[in-house]
Amino acid sequence: MPCARHNSGLGIRSDARFILKAKFVVSTATVLTVWSSLALAQDGESVVAPSVGEAQSQVQQAVVDAEPTPNAEVDKADAEASLSAEELAAINASLVADAPVEAAAAAPATGGLSSANPDISLILDVAGAYFSDTPQMAGGHDPNHTGVTLQQLEMHIASSVDPFFKFDANIVFAQFGVEVEEAYFTTLALPASLQVRGGQFLTPFGRINPTHPHSWSFLNQPLVNGKFFGSEGSRGLGAEVSWLSPLPWYAEVVGSATEGVGECCARSFFGADDLGIETPSDLLYTTALKQYFPLSDDFSVMWGLSAQFGPNPTGKDNRSEIYGTDLYLRYRPVDATDMESLSLQVEAMARKRQIPNDVLTDAGGYADLVWRMSKTWEVGTRAEYVTGTENDYLDPTWTTARTRGSLQASLYPSHFSRIRLQGLADHPSDQDWYWGVMLGFEVLVGAHGAHAY
Amino acid sequence: MRIILTFLLTLLAMPAQALNVVASTSDLAAIAREVVGPDGQVTAMSKASQDPHYVDARPSLTLQLNKADLVLVNGLELEVGWLPTLLTNARNTKVLPGSDGYFDASNFVRLLEVPVGKIDRAQGDIHPGGNPHFLHDPRAAAKTAVALGDRLAKLDPKHADAFHARAKDFAQKADGLAASWKAKFDALPASSRKIVAYHASLPYLLDWLDLAQIITVEPKPGIQPNPGHVAKVLKTMREQGAKVVIQEAYYPTKTSQTIAQMAKGKVVVIPGGTGPDETYLQRADRTAKELYDALKN
Repeated sequence: MPCARHNSGLGIRSDARFILKAKFVVSTATVLTVWSSLALAQDGESVVAPSVGEAQSQVQQAVVDAEPTPNAEVDKADAEASLSAEELAAINASLVADAPVEAAAAAPATGGLSSANPDISLILDVAGAYFSDTPQMAGGHDPNHTGVTLQQLEMHIASSVDPFFKFDANIVFAQFGVEVEEAYFTTLALPASLQVRGGQFLTPFGRINPTHPHSWSFLNQPLVNGKFFGSEGSRGLGAEVSWLSPLPWYAEVVGSATEGVGECCARSFFGADDLGIETPSDLLYTTALKQYFPLSDDFSVMWGLSAQFGPNPTGKDNRSEIYGTDLYLRYRPVDATDMESLSLQVEAMARKRQIPNDVLTDAGGYADLVWRMSKTWEVGTRAEYVTGTENDYLDPTWTTARTRGSLQASLYPSHFSRIRLQGLADHPSDQDWYWGVMLGFEVLVGAHGAHAY
Repeated sequence: MRIILTFLLTLLAMPAQALNVVASTSDLAAIAREVVGPDGQVTAMSKASQDPHYVDARPSLTLQLNKADLVLVNGLELEVGWLPTLLTNARNTKVLPGSDGYFDASNFVRLLEVPVGKIDRAQGDIHPGGNPHFLHDPRAAAKTAVALGDRLAKLDPKHADAFHARAKDFAQKADGLAASWKAKFDALPASSRKIVAYHASLPYLLDWLDLAQIITVEPKPGIQPNPGHVAKVLKTMREQGAKVVIQEAYYPTKTSQTIAQMAKGKVVVIPGGTGPDETYLQRADRTAKELYDALKN
């Protein structure tokens, strides 16, 4: 199945195996130590800074207790009277000023806000659009008619479960209903730089597929992703293993096995015709190698190779394969004062589908060039091309090549809001060119999510 | 093939000889270098010229975290836009929040501008735990160094005494520097102590040197200046006799320079962090000196 594979009988020397075993034991011991120390830390009390009122009475009590004499009442009054109001106030102020430092030192386990609630954020994408002809958008959340489209209201929930797992969920509310885009756990404590994800997730194919529409530079899904994966991108229920290699540059190997069902999410595989899972070869396998090369402080390259293998419903043992490569070039000067950056993202994919007595092939790709001019302004352009086949009965409307181009300009009033104007010109198979103009609004509330690269 | 494999496995199996410390900002890295000394290595994930709120979460940083024994974090959500993904993907339990290998400097310093009541982003991009830019103040650096010495001693008990000694030495020097500059600034007349800041990132600097910030060039934190507000800033400067606009190097200078020119004052660009060829104390000294020279006139 997967293309290049080394002989698995690697002949690892016995002492190297011992070292691996020892590392595993040490990692497990570390995990247990962390877990137990966290459990113990829960029992510590947090020190609360005294309020000013409390501090004042503390001062008065301290003054009173300072010199106990037989004539306690008289001396107490003398002591209080001997301190002027200003001096008392100064002592109060010092007590209060000192208290938070002591509190911080005494409770180092938490800082700032601490809450066991998950981080929740909501992102709303709404777009108004005008098309000169009936548009044929590939993505399920693309503006798809002249009028206003609620692209999505996405709720992102993230939290650590315990020292071993992290939880992430993306739930999308749209006018057609609620869908679970992603809901998965990620391991935090596996040895040997491994990580496992399990649940419903977007498969790690290429650069744009694993991301959510609100993080895209353009309002719509690339044609090749829509044609090869589906309107929601390639996603499914299953598990994924990833490994960060010990090479001196970032090289990550990922592999996932998911159910390849749903016209939305695996249309090159079972898609709408779920023939059921009987053997492991009925699952959809995705593999990827992602590498990152910082060529300088300002300029970096991210390069990926991806492949997907799985069954299609045209007959037993008929397979579909998708191969892709992606390149992300990013220029962001570290001395820039206003978030200036220029990035080029290119993805190319090729697909082979076995049907009775034939193999259908097609290919496609897109290129996005985005220039972030400042914190506030951004412009971009996209070019797309996807081939079609005459006798493609799995994609009967897509008989010839299709080309589309887009231009966008974005305004960021703040880090949490975005207004995008995008124009596109589309030439679908066997039809005339049509054009469209879209104005999209995006707002984010809640926990500040971390941006991926 | 076997040779390559053996080499790779040996890399995996090599015990950590010295502590590998990774810091989120250049200031933290500079402080760490003083305390760690020759008993470890320190790398910074961002440079002084970069705005620490908006650092790219480059995968090479994931790699650094994967190999780290201790990560130093400024805290108070300064790195919230880029660090959490890196930490999850680093596949290194040693440096996850809650572990000894995760050091949050904000736990050990006196915090300013801690919001009370409900936090609303209509007020701009407010940090909910307090203002995170405490490393402008050498006294906070001193406290950070002492706490860092304790943490390093815990992680590497063999060199505990050395860490404590170096931390104490640095803390004394930092406190001394702070006190001497404070005294010099106290000698300035009150009218010279009014300043304008570009971003609300200077409360610790103002607290250290006893300066008064009359207005910021950003209308609200994180919101770009607009012409109406800039006019208000200029008016306020002229009314109150403030002549100096202070900002870090990672903010754009055009607006500040225009305002300063019109108010017949000047812009002081202070370091956003410690540069590649200097120590933290030199950076703090440079900050205070440039401010002092600007305010003295």
